[in-house]
Amino acid sequence: MSATTAVPTELAIHRGGARRMGFFTDTTTCIGCKACEVACKQWNDLPADGSQFKPRSSYDHTGDLSASTWRHVRFVELLEPSPLLRNEALTALPAIPAAGNGELPDLVAMAEDVGSKWAFMSDVCKHCTNAGCLDACPTGALIRTEYETVVLQADVCNGCGYCVPACPFGVVDRDPIDGRAAKCTLCYDRLEDGLEPACAKACPTDSIQFGPYEELVTQAERRVSELHGRGIEGAYLYGAGDDPEHELAGGLGAFFLLTEAPERFGLPAEADSPIQENLVAATAAAVGAGLLAATAAAVLFATARRGTR
Amino acid sequence: MSEQRPARDMTPALGTRGEPGSWRRAVEGGRVALARPGWGDAAWSYLFGSDTRYAEPAPDSERVAAVNWRMRSQTSPGPVLGPVIHAPVWTWEVPLYFWFGGMASGAAFAALGADIAGDEVSARVARKVALAAVLPAPALLIADLGRPGRFLNMLRIFKPRSPMNVGAWCLVAFSTAGAGAVAADLLGARRAGRGLGAAQALLGSYLGSYTGVLLATTAVPVWARSRAFLGPMFVATATATGAAATRLTLAAAGQAEGHPTQVALARLESGAILAELTLSTVNERRLGRAGEALSHGVPQRLFRSAKGLVGAGLVLPVIARRRARRPAQNLSSLLYLAGGLAFRFAWVQAGKASGRDDEAVALMARGRVTTDEHLRAGTQQRAVSEDRPPLAEGGPRSALRRWSEVVGRTSLLVERLTNRVVMSSR
Repeated sequence: MSATTAVPTELAIHRGGARRMGFFTDTTTCIGCKACEVACKQWNDLPADGSQFKPRSSYDHTGDLSASTWRHVRFVELLEPSPLLRNEALTALPAIPAAGNGELPDLVAMAEDVGSKWAFMSDVCKHCTNAGCLDACPTGALIRTEYETVVLQADVCNGCGYCVPACPFGVVDRDPIDGRAAKCTLCYDRLEDGLEPACAKACPTDSIQFGPYEELVTQAERRVSELHGRGIEGAYLYGAGDDPEHELAGGLGAFFLLTEAPERFGLPAEADSPIQENLVAATAAAVGAGLLAATAAAVLFATARRGTR
Repeated sequence: MSEQRPARDMTPALGTRGEPGSWRRAVEGGRVALARPGWGDAAWSYLFGSDTRYAEPAPDSERVAAVNWRMRSQTSPGPVLGPVIHAPVWTWEVPLYFWFGGMASGAAFAALGADIAGDEVSARVARKVALAAVLPAPALLIADLGRPGRFLNMLRIFKPRSPMNVGAWCLVAFSTAGAGAVAADLLGARRAGRGLGAAQALLGSYLGSYTGVLLATTAVPVWARSRAFLGPMFVATATATGAAATRLTLAAAGQAEGHPTQVALARLESGAILAELTLSTVNERRLGRAGEALSHGVPQRLFRSAKGLVGAGLVLPVIARRRARRPAQNLSSLLYLAGGLAFRFAWVQAGKASGRDDEAVALMARGRVTTDEHLRAGTQQRAVSEDRPPLAEGGPRSALRRWSEVVGRTSLLVERLTNRVVMSSR
């Protein structure tokens, strides 16, 4: 894997010796306390969005990632048991009334057998290597910092809203009241002062880990290997440690350890900067068609004049 | 602009609202309490201790990479617990801008054609139509911004990668060329008028089509999946509406029905509409699940009315009696204009619906895994960055930076003034 992969033509701050910094969010140790959300809002002066329980939101009451929520703990209820587990449960359940003369069945173990899990994932800006928002931004408000994170300069943003659909992870959003877009800065201001980001500092279980990118990736791979050793075969990294041809958006500066298909956590299975994927093809087709239309107009006029003579 | 939302206290804890943030130490060289250099405060964790085994000492990187890919590509996606992406936030100003900008480009094409055919009178009228159509465009674009006072920031850099940035520059160049061409016409400078008109047509080939590129370069399934079709479709709408507006203006000015310009414009508009209908039919068929947004709810109704309007416009002149041919032709031009507007709104609305369609977003990502892999390999850009020295003083780069600074400062000044006006009017 390449150590640093910023595209040289983009707007960026360069400082000799600065290293790529990132987040490693381990969902297996997340307890859903939302301390990271609170710490993020407090440090970054973000308003509360109100507390609301919505249907099918699994008791998650703080909405989604938005212009005023830069860290969001997603609550994911995995209630669909696999067919195998379902059959086991169905054979086990009729045994309950018959248990009067013997030992009571272990209901906790049975519930675990049915396969229902409650997973938590502290979602955040991925600080992509190929960042869609950074490519889209027409004002240069979004820049790459010396830590290879993607930061939105609030004093430059004019609220055009192009970065919002250009992000393949649904992170950056435009604040309807403030008018500007906003997203996680990986606490750029704290980094400048030698502090770790507020969310990582607040995390009580070290589910959110902060550090130099390469060290974090090694740490995450060690964790995955450990979980595999314990028989959790589905543990994997989302956004790091991939083969170069399968990298997500060129590698994510903030990556995750997951145990379920990415769609369960609202993440796309594959992603890249939409501009780097589509710009050349779309522009070629569009400008080609534009020139063709201009030519067609010229030809039609010339033939119409000849026709009337 | 949008519906009234409850006011939220946005007063920042530090500094002034709308001003650059003050990410500075209170005292130069001051240190943060308890901070340890090199993020030392992040290094400690009980999880990494020797007595609590959090992680395997020696990771198997190859196996991790294999599992990563297996879990992302071969597991069943199951129910998608979205939202996966954010739907576009653009409101009615944007599709209306697409319509006006497109009409201006189409009129510029018509002016070029008339000039080539030697019909200078019609060319002059067409250039006026192009200028009139492009005039509302900047106002609409500025109105759509979250911070309209900072519109100038679009021009503080030139960023070829961002279609919106290049589009803003193109709009400026197109309007300037258009105003220059009309001024030259009025002053009787025929060669200058023709030259600027030709430049305008060239710029119009981007102004009328980049809006399709703008939509295609997003993560919204229905837009991204139509990437090779959106530009050409938008050009077709632009040509049809521009030719229709020019033809109607010329007819209102008393140009005879059989005039070659009238004939050419009528052919141009119906040809463009036919191209548009063909392209959108082909595109809808190949979209599959990503195109579901086109066939439900508001976008569906908009597309149906758009197609109905332009379809009626195509049929009308054909079935009209000889005597009624002229009003029928004019009515069909009006129908094209209305249909073009409906197409613009339909595409923007379809994008909003598609962005909220979590399953389509997830499936597009999954589909890319298998079908588009070879495409991805071709377009993937990667480069190894090194520690680059700071930009040298002097030379074109430094001039660019000065330009950026001047525009940025002007932009902030404009915003401060508008804020003051708004505050004092409250």
